Amino acid sequence: MTPLLELDAVRKSYGDFRAVDGVSLTVEPGSICGLLGPNGAGKTTSIRMIMDIIAPDAGEVRFFGRPRQRDDLLRVGYLPEERGLYRKMTVTDHLVFLGRLHGAKKRRMVPAIEEWLDKVELSEWAGKKVEELSKGMQQKIQLVGTVLHKPDLLVLDEPFSGLDPINQGLFKDLLAEYRRDGRAVLFSTHIMEQADKLCDRICLISRGRVVLAGELKAIKRRFGGNSYRLVASGNLDRLAAVPGVARAIAQDDGARLLLEDDASGAEVLPRLLEAVTVHEFRSEEPELEEIFIQAVGDSERTGGAAGEERHAR
Amino acid sequence: MRVRQAFVVAQREYLARVKSLGFWLATIVLPLFLAAIGILPTLFLFKSVSAHRVAVVDRTGELGAELATRLAPAPEAAAPAAQTAGKAEAEPGTEGFEQQLERQLEAARFEVTVEPAAADPEAQQAELNRRVLEGELDAWIWIAGDALESSRVEYHAASVSNFITQDRLQDALTAVAREHRYRNAGLDPEQIRELARRVRMTTFRITEEGGEEEGAEAGLILAYALFFLLYMVLVFYGQQVMNGVIEEKSSRIVEVVVSTVRPFELLMGKLLGICCAALTQLAVWLGTMVAFTLPGVVSAMAWIPEDVDVPSISAGLIVHFVLLFLLGFFVFSTVYAAIGSAFNNVQEAQQWAGFIVIFLVAPVLFFWMVINDPDSTVSVVASLIPFFTPLLMMLRIAIKTPPFWQVALGYLLTTAFTLGMIWLSARVYRTGILMYGKKPTLKELWRWMRYA
Repeated sequence: MTPLLELDAVRKSYGDFRAVDGVSLTVEPGSICGLLGPNGAGKTTSIRMIMDIIAPDAGEVRFFGRPRQRDDLLRVGYLPEERGLYRKMTVTDHLVFLGRLHGAKKRRMVPAIEEWLDKVELSEWAGKKVEELSKGMQQKIQLVGTVLHKPDLLVLDEPFSGLDPINQGLFKDLLAEYRRDGRAVLFSTHIMEQADKLCDRICLISRGRVVLAGELKAIKRRFGGNSYRLVASGNLDRLAAVPGVARAIAQDDGARLLLEDDASGAEVLPRLLEAVTVHEFRSEEPELEEIFIQAVGDSERTGGAAGEERHAR
Repeated sequence: MRVRQAFVVAQREYLARVKSLGFWLATIVLPLFLAAIGILPTLFLFKSVSAHRVAVVDRTGELGAELATRLAPAPEAAAPAAQTAGKAEAEPGTEGFEQQLERQLEAARFEVTVEPAAADPEAQQAELNRRVLEGELDAWIWIAGDALESSRVEYHAASVSNFITQDRLQDALTAVAREHRYRNAGLDPEQIRELARRVRMTTFRITEEGGEEEGAEAGLILAYALFFLLYMVLVFYGQQVMNGVIEEKSSRIVEVVVSTVRPFELLMGKLLGICCAALTQLAVWLGTMVAFTLPGVVSAMAWIPEDVDVPSISAGLIVHFVLLFLLGFFVFSTVYAAIGSAFNNVQEAQQWAGFIVIFLVAPVLFFWMVINDPDSTVSVVASLIPFFTPLLMMLRIAIKTPPFWQVALGYLLTTAFTLGMIWLSARVYRTGILMYGKKPTLKELWRWMRYA
């Protein structure tokens, strides 16, 4: 499959300050990619380079498998971190304007706008001026404006910041829809919990460099090992001796089991059933938050990229 | 530059303005306002001016009664008294609109009572003062016994800042005293008036199409109107561009837009859209001006006295006006856009905008110099300075067709300069629109221009 978006060793400096220092990432069709990092890591600068708002000093941005052309951006839906609307325009006029900037024809857009406004329950506001809308309603209009022209790729900079729960839900549904349709989403966030729930792949950057990148599941496995939570009764001392279990850490009502790398839960469970009375057995992944802190910490200690796996699929 | 993208932006800018109520209010109210300036004062003057109540104490025994006759409201048809008052030199029918107005003013404004001179001057003066303070009188005039020789008369009033009224009184007193002196010297005042008649110069404007009689006043009014109309729209729409840029920036819409439109396309689209809005407004205004100065219409407007010249507006003049507006608009608006892009709010930008206005106001300082001598070296040179060309060349063309090469050179220089300004402003603009937070320093602005 041709990646929808690739960044290849992109750099940007402001004077002596390296805002983005060789960031690479790939967004595949049918996936949601999270661009993660603490504030000031270079997420917005990277995204602005993707959107050709600022030019990289070095490196390349490729869309749809070839070097970026300016009109490629018409197939992208972009929501900047700093976002707004023309206050004096009516909702419909505004959406028509945004659609036309993406090359859509007004005639074709009108039904789509009606459909979208219906979906976000703002049909009665179509003829009202933007300034009459509440903040939550304006966020919905921004969302509609981002996807109205049916882009193949969404690039969202901190899409969840300042959103009320209803709009967060709308965004999450939208992301899921894009994954289902074989389109893709790249979004940035500094809130790991969101990325944890939504992303297929992540690219974690700190101080302008990629510290960790790849498939979220693989990363979790690598960082957290093959970790399981076991609630059981019986002679728990026997757990460590079960084949495939590397370590058993005793807990109140059971244990936390770290399996050997090539062992899987399905293999080990029958052996556990023989050894003890199992009440509950489930994989317990490490939180992305922990990985994030660990990875950023590592990279600061070594002063370089800890994520050797970066750019791998 | 992708024209389509710029066009989409231009269309939005244009419609956003033309659809607003304020736009049409300004478009319609301004001509009405100007018309009101023309008509209302006349109406007011003819109707209701409160009379200035003056008591005259004449100790010469000769001047008082005559002054009263002269200042008394005269019946309109039998006008000799009113006509001879003040502007004795003016010939009937040749006097201008202003003089006619003045005549009306004088006729209506005074209510003169001649008080017999009492034996005790001081007591009489005290009594008159009391009447002024109590509001019975507005003023009193004391004509001393030797007034004809000393040429001195006293005016007493609670307020003495009404210099126009005083001027009229003084004119009337002078005329009365003069006639007395003529008669005392054995001369006939009528004859002297006849001999001292003013010469009236009729002005002809020579153009390529041949000479055409045109009042100096009319030409001046036209030049004045076009000059200030141009000045006004340049300042107003320049500010519109600046505020538009700031609004986009502060509302954070700009970043959404620049992901699909290059900053240069955005800037050009914005300028084009606002320019079209300005042209729409100008079309209404110029159309009104032309319509109201058509010969047929002029004669139909009863309130304009028959002998007032109404300027005629030629098609060539309008073409120049529109071209010079376009040049002026693009020179100043690109600078306004650059300023708007560099700052976060209108207040911050305002001081820089004020700096630009200096370049727009400077031609106003040249106004009279150019009016009086449009071909002097100073006028020619000033009108070729790109920032000044739109306004000063307009003025020169309106009063006297300048040599072709000067007009052509002016257009050429300003066009080249405008392109340069667009190039420079675009560099500041594309950096500025994405910079939030602190106010840029001069050094930073310079860096944006160089490296952007």
